[in-house]
Amino acid sequence: MDKSSLAERRAALLHAGAHVSRSITSILDPDTLLHRTVDIICIAFGFYYAGVFLIDETGEWAVLRAGRGEAGAAMVAEGHKLQVGGQSMIGAATAHNKALIALDVGDEPVHLKNKYLPLTRSEMALPLVVGAGAETRVIGALSVQSEEEEAFTEDDITALQAMADQLAVAIHNARLYSENERLLAQATRRARLLMAAADVGKGVTSILDLDELLHKMVDIICDAYGFYYAGVFLLDETRAWAVLRAGRGEAGTAMVAQGHKLEVGGQSMIGAAIAQRQARIALDVGEEAVFFKNPYLPMTRSEMALPLVVGEEVIGAVTVQSEQEAAFSDEDISSLQAMADQLAVALHNAHLLRELELAHAELVRTKTFEAVATATTEAIHWIGNKALPIAVSVQRLREDVARLPGEDAEIVESIHEDLMLIEASAQLIAQVKEHLIGPAREYIPAPVMIEDVVRDTVRVMDIAPEIIHFTVTPDLPLGVADATQLRRAFRYVLQNALEATEDLESPRIDVEIDLVQEKGARYVVTRIADNGPGVADANLDKIWVSFYTTRGAKHAGLGLPACLQILKQIDGKAVARKRPEGGMVFELYVPAHTGAAPHGPANLPAGKQFLLVDDDDVWSRFVERTLAAAQNVVTRVGDVGAVTDFDVFDILIVDDVLATTDSLAVLQRIARAGAAAKTLVVASSVRVERMMDLLRFGVRDVQPKPYTAAALAEKLN
Amino acid sequence: MKEEVKVLLVDDEKLVLRSIEKSLLRAGFDVEAVNDVTAALALFEAAMASDAPFDIAVLDLNMPNFAGYVDPTAGLQLLSKLLEVQPGFPVVVLTAFDEVERAKDAVRRGARAYFVKGREADLIALVERILAD
Repeated sequence: MDKSSLAERRAALLHAGAHVSRSITSILDPDTLLHRTVDIICIAFGFYYAGVFLIDETGEWAVLRAGRGEAGAAMVAEGHKLQVGGQSMIGAATAHNKALIALDVGDEPVHLKNKYLPLTRSEMALPLVVGAGAETRVIGALSVQSEEEEAFTEDDITALQAMADQLAVAIHNARLYSENERLLAQATRRARLLMAAADVGKGVTSILDLDELLHKMVDIICDAYGFYYAGVFLLDETRAWAVLRAGRGEAGTAMVAQGHKLEVGGQSMIGAAIAQRQARIALDVGEEAVFFKNPYLPMTRSEMALPLVVGEEVIGAVTVQSEQEAAFSDEDISSLQAMADQLAVALHNAHLLRELELAHAELVRTKTFEAVATATTEAIHWIGNKALPIAVSVQRLREDVARLPGEDAEIVESIHEDLMLIEASAQLIAQVKEHLIGPAREYIPAPVMIEDVVRDTVRVMDIAPEIIHFTVTPDLPLGVADATQLRRAFRYVLQNALEATEDLESPRIDVEIDLVQEKGARYVVTRIADNGPGVADANLDKIWVSFYTTRGAKHAGLGLPACLQILKQIDGKAVARKRPEGGMVFELYVPAHTGAAPHGPANLPAGKQFLLVDDDDVWSRFVERTLAAAQNVVTRVGDVGAVTDFDVFDILIVDDVLATTDSLAVLQRIARAGAAAKTLVVASSVRVERMMDLLRFGVRDVQPKPYTAAALAEKLN
Repeated sequence: MKEEVKVLLVDDEKLVLRSIEKSLLRAGFDVEAVNDVTAALALFEAAMASDAPFDIAVLDLNMPNFAGYVDPTAGLQLLSKLLEVQPGFPVVVLTAFDEVERAKDAVRRGARAYFVKGREADLIALVERILAD
């Protein structure tokens, strides 16, 4: 080539190089840049083929990123790559940062035959380099190929390398631009997520209504993250089920309406997240073993289940679902979990607030009830007091009428009838007063032997043994109640049973005393069943309501409500139900005593002679065993008729309720024998009038029955 | 007539007071009935200083006290004052409250007996028994 031709060629190459450089420096998209570059090079220089290789992340391979024509497209599609430092010209150029020329590829040792480019006769590989000095870095190589042999000169290298350097800078810039774009998008998304988190935080502090908070939460998640669906599940009272409380869109509304719930520890992601207290993420739901297909959400491809944890307690889980596979970035997961944690605290606070509101409402109800009860009690007390003289006045009138001279028999009969009506009305007022005020009177809960209280009640009511039948579970614990009030409750129910069976040929009342456990609490339950006609289903709930009665005008309808009040007073309960075989059964629950055992250590007297006047029953056996264990001698008798010498006894204990005799008669004999002062009378229920009758004999004291060794010691010391 | 037996009866419920008074009168007792504790104490002190002292007192528990306020222990307060004037004086405490502890408290304070209102026939028997003792 002469000097003139050489100069023209150089000028053409430089011109083409400048043109390429101008064309590519304004392209910011990396893919567009590379594809445009190979086209411009081939067009400007008239080459058969050009391709751009970029070194991958491992630094080991130069991967073809753009190639001219169909050959280039095919090679890019199949991931054509050449090893850096390998046998190819590209491999050598990238490894050594040096341009190479093969003027006849058949002679070039590092040229590998390429099936897509069979016509290549000359090839040039130009390294793509960025930076300078120590910062110099080879990012890839440009391959330029010609169908002509010896198509390139060393001078061409200089001209084309300048263009390759421009290309390298352009690629670097495009990559930086792309990275900047990515970082900007990431920053924008972060800002949006922060705003979403701020919205949740704001919602947490400003929304006190639980349902509103939950719905706001799912909307924020979907709007801020662009997810297709979000929902919040909360554990139900059993903690066995997670119940959907809020869901995005129509699907969520429909599922909430139908009570959608998932079993904790079950097959669902929500169930697994709650059971394992950790996030579950399915980037392709088809691959997730615990994903349960939901017909309301058929488009779901990715799902995340985040547990809602407060302290050590899991209270529910959040589900987030996307229509795209692998939709969740690490950033999404961490920010959503942070949001879920915030929500959990908010829910916990809302729950506490609701509990506080409920407690407040309960307090208001209780205070209102107390106020009403106090007012009612005072009113009834007032009315009762005003009515007190009626019965006495009636009695005086009867006496006066009997003394009337020359009375008209018809008028006298009429007066007596009216007096009878007045007396009955006064008795009813007194009865109402007693039922309403009785349970509200002083009560001192203490350990009581339920069987003893029931049996004493039966004896005082004089219920015939052939009617009543007992079944008592052995070794029952004591109950905790005020024995006097409890006997009143048993009396109301037993009276009810007696009246229900009074017209029957074979009346029967069954009393069963048993121990039951409910919600972690133990109760001594007394079931009193009768074979009467029972109560109609429609009236079953009304029997506990004051002034409701099915037994006619002579009843005030206050006995069963009073019974219920007595049991509620001691944290027990009363339940009524119909028996399948006919009749009613009433169940009276008394909380079981959880303190020391009845026979526990006590400061009992020792070496004494005791006379115990009582029937052979559960309480007398307890006293005999307890006193004998303290080295005392106990003689038990059902009556004192056979006792000839009271002097041999140090202490006498008399049960007020005896099966075969009246304790007043017993005390009379004891008083006559001069032993009253060392006599202690005990009763499961002590009423004032009875106590005054008993004290009249000069006994040491009248005391409620002790049901523990400690209580017995207290009475005796 | 037991005109020689003089009873001080105190209750703020006028109907109850009159009813019990009538029953006691019919039983032959000489009854002085008053409806407040201050008047009762004055009457008692005056009678005890005279040649016609009271033999027994029947007091309600729940009525206005010496300050004039309704007080469930007003009868107990009057009881204490009567016993200050005349130690060992027989007193029956009368109330509508059927409460064991209140009854025991009255007895501990020196009452001879505690009686639930509304059964005057039993009250008369009780008074007669106390006087007989």
